[in-house]
Amino acid sequence: MLNQKKMKRNTIYKILAVCAVIFTTIASCTKLEENPIGVLAPESYFKTEVEVEAAVMGVYSRLARETIYGRKLPITIMLLGDACDIGDQGTPARRIQMNNFVPDANNGLITAFWPEVYRSIGAANAAISGAQSIPNKDGAKTIELVAEARILRAHCYYILVQLFGDIPYIGEFVTDPGLVADASKTPAAEVYQKIIEDCEFAELNLPDTYASGIRCRPTKGSAKTMLASVYLTLGEYDKAARYAEEVINSRATYGYDLVDDFTELWKADNGDMAEHIWTVDFKAGNQTFYNLWAPLTGIRGADMQGWSVVVPSPGLYNLYDSGDHRMEITFITESPFSGVMVPYTNWEISRMHFGKYALYPGAGAASDGSNSGRNYPIYRLAEVYLIAAEALAEVNNGPTTKAYEYINKVRERARFGGTLPADLASGLSKEDFINAVLKERLLEFPLEYKRWFDIKRRQLGTEVFAGTNSIEPHSFDPAKNYLLPIPQSELDRNPNLKPQNPGY
Amino acid sequence: MKKFYSGRYCLNFPPALLKILRVMKLSVLLTCILSVNLMASVYSQQAKFDLNIIDQSVRDVLKTIEKESEFRFFYNDEFTDLDKKLTFTTTDQSIDDLMALVLNNTEVGYRVLDNNFIVITPKSLLQQLKVTGRVTDSDGIPLIGVTVVVEGTNTGAITDIDGTYTIDAANKEATLAFSYIGYNATKVAIDGRSIIDVVMELDVKSLEEVIVIGYGTVKKSDLTGSVASVTSKDLVSFPSLGIDQAVQGRATGIQVTSLNGEPGGGTRIRIRGGTSLNASSDPLYVVDGFAGGAIPPPEDIKSIEILKDASATAIYGSRGANGVVLVTTKSGKTGDTKIEFNSSYSFNKVGKKLELLNATEFAEYINEVRANSGSTSVPFPNPSSYGVGTDWQDIIFKDGSLQNYQLSASGGKESFRFYTSLNYYGQDGIVINSDYKRYSGLTNLDIDAGKNLKVGTRMFFRRSIENGVKSQEGSGGATNTGVISGALIISPTIGIYNEDGSFTTSPIGDPYDNPYATATQYVNESVNDLYQGSTYVDLTIMEGLVFKSTLGVSIRNNRNGNYTPTTLNAGRNVGGDAGIGSSKSTSVLNENYLSYNKVINAVHKLNLMAGHSYQSNRNEWWTSNNNSYITDSYLFWNLDGGADYQLDYSDLSQWELLSYYGRANYNFKDKYLLTFTGRFDGSSRLGKNNKWGFFPSSAFAWNIKQEPFLESFQTLSQLKFRASYGVTGNTDIGVYQSLANFASGVAAINEATVNAVVPSSVANSDLAWESTQQTDIGLDIGFWNGRLNANLDYYYKKTEDLLYNVPLPQYSGYSSSLRNIGSLENKGFELGLSTVNIENSDLSWTSDFNISFSRNKVLSLPSGEVIYKRRPGHLIGDDTHILTEGAPAGSFYGYIYDGVNEADGSPIYRDIAGRDADNKLIMQPDGVVNSDDRTIIGNPHPDYILGFNNTLQYKNFDLNIFFQGVVGNDMMNFTRMELEWVNGKGNQMATVLNRWTPSNTQTDIPVAGAYSSITSTRWVEDGSYVRLKNVSLGYNIPERILQKAGIEKLRVYIGGQNLWTITKYTGYNPDVSYNDGNTSLGLDYGSYPSSRSITFGLNVTF
Repeated sequence: MLNQKKMKRNTIYKILAVCAVIFTTIASCTKLEENPIGVLAPESYFKTEVEVEAAVMGVYSRLARETIYGRKLPITIMLLGDACDIGDQGTPARRIQMNNFVPDANNGLITAFWPEVYRSIGAANAAISGAQSIPNKDGAKTIELVAEARILRAHCYYILVQLFGDIPYIGEFVTDPGLVADASKTPAAEVYQKIIEDCEFAELNLPDTYASGIRCRPTKGSAKTMLASVYLTLGEYDKAARYAEEVINSRATYGYDLVDDFTELWKADNGDMAEHIWTVDFKAGNQTFYNLWAPLTGIRGADMQGWSVVVPSPGLYNLYDSGDHRMEITFITESPFSGVMVPYTNWEISRMHFGKYALYPGAGAASDGSNSGRNYPIYRLAEVYLIAAEALAEVNNGPTTKAYEYINKVRERARFGGTLPADLASGLSKEDFINAVLKERLLEFPLEYKRWFDIKRRQLGTEVFAGTNSIEPHSFDPAKNYLLPIPQSELDRNPNLKPQNPGY
Repeated sequence: MKKFYSGRYCLNFPPALLKILRVMKLSVLLTCILSVNLMASVYSQQAKFDLNIIDQSVRDVLKTIEKESEFRFFYNDEFTDLDKKLTFTTTDQSIDDLMALVLNNTEVGYRVLDNNFIVITPKSLLQQLKVTGRVTDSDGIPLIGVTVVVEGTNTGAITDIDGTYTIDAANKEATLAFSYIGYNATKVAIDGRSIIDVVMELDVKSLEEVIVIGYGTVKKSDLTGSVASVTSKDLVSFPSLGIDQAVQGRATGIQVTSLNGEPGGGTRIRIRGGTSLNASSDPLYVVDGFAGGAIPPPEDIKSIEILKDASATAIYGSRGANGVVLVTTKSGKTGDTKIEFNSSYSFNKVGKKLELLNATEFAEYINEVRANSGSTSVPFPNPSSYGVGTDWQDIIFKDGSLQNYQLSASGGKESFRFYTSLNYYGQDGIVINSDYKRYSGLTNLDIDAGKNLKVGTRMFFRRSIENGVKSQEGSGGATNTGVISGALIISPTIGIYNEDGSFTTSPIGDPYDNPYATATQYVNESVNDLYQGSTYVDLTIMEGLVFKSTLGVSIRNNRNGNYTPTTLNAGRNVGGDAGIGSSKSTSVLNENYLSYNKVINAVHKLNLMAGHSYQSNRNEWWTSNNNSYITDSYLFWNLDGGADYQLDYSDLSQWELLSYYGRANYNFKDKYLLTFTGRFDGSSRLGKNNKWGFFPSSAFAWNIKQEPFLESFQTLSQLKFRASYGVTGNTDIGVYQSLANFASGVAAINEATVNAVVPSSVANSDLAWESTQQTDIGLDIGFWNGRLNANLDYYYKKTEDLLYNVPLPQYSGYSSSLRNIGSLENKGFELGLSTVNIENSDLSWTSDFNISFSRNKVLSLPSGEVIYKRRPGHLIGDDTHILTEGAPAGSFYGYIYDGVNEADGSPIYRDIAGRDADNKLIMQPDGVVNSDDRTIIGNPHPDYILGFNNTLQYKNFDLNIFFQGVVGNDMMNFTRMELEWVNGKGNQMATVLNRWTPSNTQTDIPVAGAYSSITSTRWVEDGSYVRLKNVSLGYNIPERILQKAGIEKLRVYIGGQNLWTITKYTGYNPDVSYNDGNTSLGLDYGSYPSSRSITFGLNVTF
C-alpha cells in the first residue's frame, strides 16, 4: 500500500517535472520580439551612399503620385488660376470649390496633397539625416545626394509657402512626432530664407548634368532656375535676373535649348527634351505612378474617353493671336466620337478642351490616357527667358534690349515660322512690358500651374477675376483668396497653428 | 400507523418516506417500487413469526404482520383475494413461509423488497419474461437510477450502481421505455431478447447538459458565465457554407451579416457588438481546442458554444474581448459502426430584381439631362425606337444550385473510438460564372491507451475552389465595373454584342464593359487548401488529477489566379493582364494543462485548472503579374509569355503568443458557485514595454431553486442568478505595428524604376492591448419541469486603450500612429426563451425564441470627431461617416434632404447651423447650406436582433420553421444613390420617371442632370428585416419498412430558405455589408443579391 502510494507520488513528480521542462523550454525559446525581415528599421538602415540615394529616391516616389503631381496638387493650382475652368459640373465638389474660390478648410484637395507634400519633406529629411550617419558622410557623392534632398525639400516648401503663407517648417527627420506636435507656424519670409539656403547649397553641390540627360533629377541649372523663380516671387528682381541669365548663358553646359515645335513638347513618347529643366518622372503603365492628366483634360464621351474635368476658361482662346502655333496643342475644338469627327459644340460638355496632355499620352497609357508615362514639367527654359525678361524690366525700370530678346525668343518659337505672334513692339513702358510678359506666361503655360502664382505674386486677383477683361469671372476676395486655408484637422491636432488664414 | 391512499393502491408508509413522497409524483414512485429488484434484506431473512390466526381476512392478517414486524405491505386495495378468510397457526416461521401460507390459493403473489417492503401483486405480473441489461451514456459510463418501464403496463425497474436493470416484461413483443432526467427518453422493442443494453443520449435541452468551456467542460447547471450553445441539429437544418450562416438567429447576442452574398462569400460576426475601431472585432474561434483553427463543415460539428461574458472568455485572455466561439467536432462512440449519409440539393433563384428604366425611358432621360445642361446635342434622337431594350439583370442572373453531400462512419470498440467523414459542398451562383466548391474530410480518433491514459487525434483537410465574378466593385471608370452594378447602370439600349461580334460597351459616360462581358470574360480563381491536425494526450495521474497536452498544426495554402483578357477594356489596353499569387500560413499551437477535481465532505466541490500554451503564426505571401500576351488562352498559366512585366510582391509576417492560465471553480452544495479565471498573455505584436498582460475574471452564481424556501414552488423548476466581471483583451492588429519602419518602393527615373525608401511609421514601444471590462448579470428561470426555460442577461462592456490610429499632425510626415487611446462601450440585454408547447407520444412542438438588444457608443476619442469617407471610389463625393464621442461607431454623416425646389427641381438640403461672431459653430440656421449643416443621419447598429425557431414532430413527420430578423438599423444605400442621382451617367431606377420636370413639380426626385450625390438622408434607409430563413418538412420512413433493407433510419425532407422577407429596404438584400470594418457598417453597393432556395434532402443511417 505504502509502495503504491510512493509510486503514485513518483509518477506525479515525474509528470510535473516534464511539464516544468516543457513550460520553461518553450518560454525560454521566445523573447516575443519581432524581427521583421521584409521591413526596414530606420536605425540600422543607413550604411553607404547607396542607402542614402534610395532615401533620396523616396522623395521622387512620393512626388510622382496621384496625390501630388499625378493630379491633386497641379489641379488645385490650375483651377485657382484663370486659365483653367471646370467642365463637367458633376465633378467632385472639392474641385468646384477651388475653382470658385470657396474652398473650406476641409477641402478634399487640400487635405489630400498637404500631408503628401509634407511626407515628401519627411522623406527628404530622412535622407539628409541618414547621410550624416554613414561613415563616408563627407564624400562627394554623399554631399551631392544631400544637395539633391535639400532642393527637393525646398521645392516642396516653395509650393506650400506660396499656397498657404506661414506654415510649420520641419527641417529635421522626425522620429518622435511628439517633439513637433506643438510646432508653431514659421513666417513665410523665414520659410523663403530656408528655401534659398537649400537651393544655394544645391547650386554649389549638384552636378551640371546627369547621364542620359535625365531631367527629373535637379542639377545646378535646376537650382539656379529655382532661385530665379523664388527671387522673382520675392520681388528681388536683381537676383532673379542674375540667376535666370546665368541659366540662359550656360544653357550649353546644362544642355538646355528651346524646342522648335511646341507640339513636340507634349508628346509623351518624346520623353524629356532639351527645353525641360526639371520634370517629375512618371512611368507608363505602372500603377505606382498614377498620372491622370490625360483623362482629366480629355473629352467625355469621345473616343479618347476623357472626363472633361479641367477645360480652358471661356476667354482663353481669344487671347491668342491667330496663327499662334501653341494653340494647336493647347486647344481641342473637334474630336472623333466613334470614329466620326464631332465639333466641340456638340460634345456632352460643349466646350473647347485642352490638348497638351490629352492628345498624346503615349505608349503604355490606358485607353483613356490614364497611367501615361508623360513627365510633368516643373521648369522649362521658356520660363527662364520670361523670368529674365520680367526681372530685367523691373531692375532697369523698363525693358532692356535683353529683356526684349528674351521674351521674343518665346514668341518666335510660338510663330513656328509663321507671322504671329510677332516680336513685341519696342518702346513699351515698364508696366506694359511686364503685362506683356505676364500675358506671355499665361499663353505659354496653361496647364503648367504657373498662372496662379503669377496672379498671387503680382496681386492681380481682383483684376483678372472681377475686372472687365476677365477671361474667367469669379467673385474674388483679396483679403482672403490669395491664401488657401490650412487643413482644419491640422489646427485641431495642433492649436498652436492657429489662427487659420484670414477669411476661413 | 397512518394510511396513505392513492388511486387504486394503498400503502403504509414510514414517516420519512412520506416526506419524500409529498414532493415526488406518487405514481412514478409506485411504479418504481413495484418492481425494484433487490435482494431481500438481512432482516427479511432473520425475522421469524409466531402467529395464531382465526378466521381473519387476508387484509387483517397483513395488518397483524405489520404490527408484529418491520415489514410493510404494498397492495391494491381492490384485490378480491384480500377478503378471503384464513385460519392458521405458525411457529418460528420465516416471512416467505408465512406469505406462502397467507396467499395460498389466491391470484396474487408477493415479492420482498429492500426496506422490508412487501409487494402483493397478481401472479401474472410476477412470472413473466425477465429482461436484463446495462444502461450507459454515450461515453460508456453507467447511468444509475434510470427508470425502465414496460410500455403500457405499470411494470418498471431502476438501474443499479452498475447501470444494470432487470425487469419482467409482459410479453416478447413489448417495448421498454427508458427515462432519465437530463437524457432523451429512449424506447427499445424487446423483440424476444433477454439482454438489452441501452445507450442514452444527453438531452440537449436539459439542465444537466454538459457545456464545453475553455479547457474543460461544465454541467450547465454549474455554469457561472454567459454561454450560448448551438447544437448540431440546428446547424444542419438547412445547407449552409459555414457555421456563421448556420448560427445566424440561433442564439442571443450574436449578430451575423453577410459581407456580400456571393458563393463562398464571407460573413461578419459580432458577439455583443464591436469592441474596436481599428483592430478586428471578430471573435476567437477555437476548434477542438485549437485557437484560431479552421472550422469544419456544419455536418461534422457536434456543438458550438459561444462564450460571451468575461467569466467565460477571460480564460482566452488577450483574445477574448470579442467573444469566443468553441467548436467541438463529432467523435465516435463505442458500439456498432454507424454509417450516415446526408445529402441535399437546392434550387436557388434570385430573391429580388430592381425595377429600372427601360430603353425608351432611359433614352428620354439621357436626352433630358443633356438638354438641361445646355447642350444642343441629342444622344438618342428617337427614344421610342429602342423599345423596352435589354434587361441586363435577366442577362446576368440565372438559376443557381447548391449540392451538399456528407458521408460519415463512426463507432468504436471498448478502447477505441473513431469518427470519419467526407464532405462535398458545391454552389453554382445566381450570377453567371460564379461558383464555389469545397471538399473536406475529418477524422477523429480516441484511444484508451491504458487505464489512465487516453490519446487521440483530430485531423481535418479541406480544399475549396472559388470562381468569383466582380461584384461590389468599388471603382468604376472604363475598366473596373462590377457585374452587378454594371447590370444596373448600363444602358438598356444596347445588346451584349456589337455587329462585329465584340462586346458592347456603355454608350454613355465612361465606355465600360457590359456586365455580361465582365462576368464571362474575367477569370478569377482561388484555390485554398488546408490541413489541420492535432494530437492530444490525456493522463489521469491520480483520482481527480488529469494532465492534458495537445499539439496542433494548421497549414493553409492559397493560390489566386486572375486574367483580364483582351475582350475587356482593362485587358485590351495592355494586351491581357495575368496575375498569380500564393500565400502560405502556418500556425502551431501547444497547450499543456492540469485539471483537478475534488469533492470534500460531499458538499464542497472544487475544480482547479492551470496551464500553459505557446502559439506561433507565420504568413508568407507572394504575387506576380505580367501583361501583353499574344493570346488570351494562357489565362494566368504562362506569365513568362507576356511582354510587359509588372511589379512583383512578396511579404512575410510572423507572430508569437505565450500564455499561462488558470481557473478555479468552487461549488457549495450545488447552490453557490464561484469561478475565478486568469490568463497571462505575452504577445510579440505589442510594444517592447507592454509585451505582457493579465486578464482576470470572477463570477458568482446562485441556484436559488436549491434553497429550502423554494422547495414548495413546484411550478418553478429552475432559478439561477449569475453575475460576472472580468477583463479581456484584443491584440488583433497587424504585425510590426509597434516598430518604426522605412517602406521600400520605387521611383521612376527616366522611365526606369529604381529603389526608393521612405519613412512610413514611427515606433510606439508602449503599444499595448485593448482591454475590455465586462459586467454580466443573468438569470436562468425554468417552469413546469423545463417546459418553459428563460435566460436573461444584461451586460456592459467598456473597451479602453482602444487600438486606434491616432491622427498625427500631418506636417510631421506621418498621418497616424497606432496608439492605445479612447474608449467605447457596448451594452445590452438578451432574452432567450425555449418552450415545449406540446409533448405527447404523437405530437411535439418546441419553440426557441431569442432577442438581443445592443447599444454601441464611442465614449472618448483622442482628437474629437473624425469625419471620413466610405463610399465606393467612383461615386465621387463627400464624406459619409463620423466618429464622435457619444454616438455609435460608424454613424452616417451628411445633410438632411428636404426634397426638391419646386421652381427648378434642384435638391434642397436643410440649413441647420451657422457660425457666430467668433466663428464658433451654433445650431442656428444662417441662410447658407455648407459643411456646417451636416449632422448624424443614421445609425447602422440594430435596435435588436431576433430569432424564432419552431420544431414540430407528428408521428413520422417533422417540421421546422425558423424566422430571423434584424430591426432598427439604418442602411446607406449607395446602389440606389447611383440609380437615382439623375446625373446622366447611367441607367436609373423606375422611380426616376417621377423626376422633377416643369410639369411635375410635386416630387422628391430632382431634375434630370442635377448634382445630387451628396451624402444625405435621401440615401439612408431602414434596414430592418424579418425573414423566414428556413422552413423544412421531413418524413422518417417507418422502421418496419427499413429493417428489411438493413437501414436504421431514413429521412427525406423538403425545405425552403429565404422564402419570405418583410423589409422596407429597397435594395436587393438588407443583410449585406459593403466594406467590412467597424467604422463602415450598414453600407450597400453592388452586392450579390440574396437568393431563395428550395432544398430536397435525404438523411440515411445504416
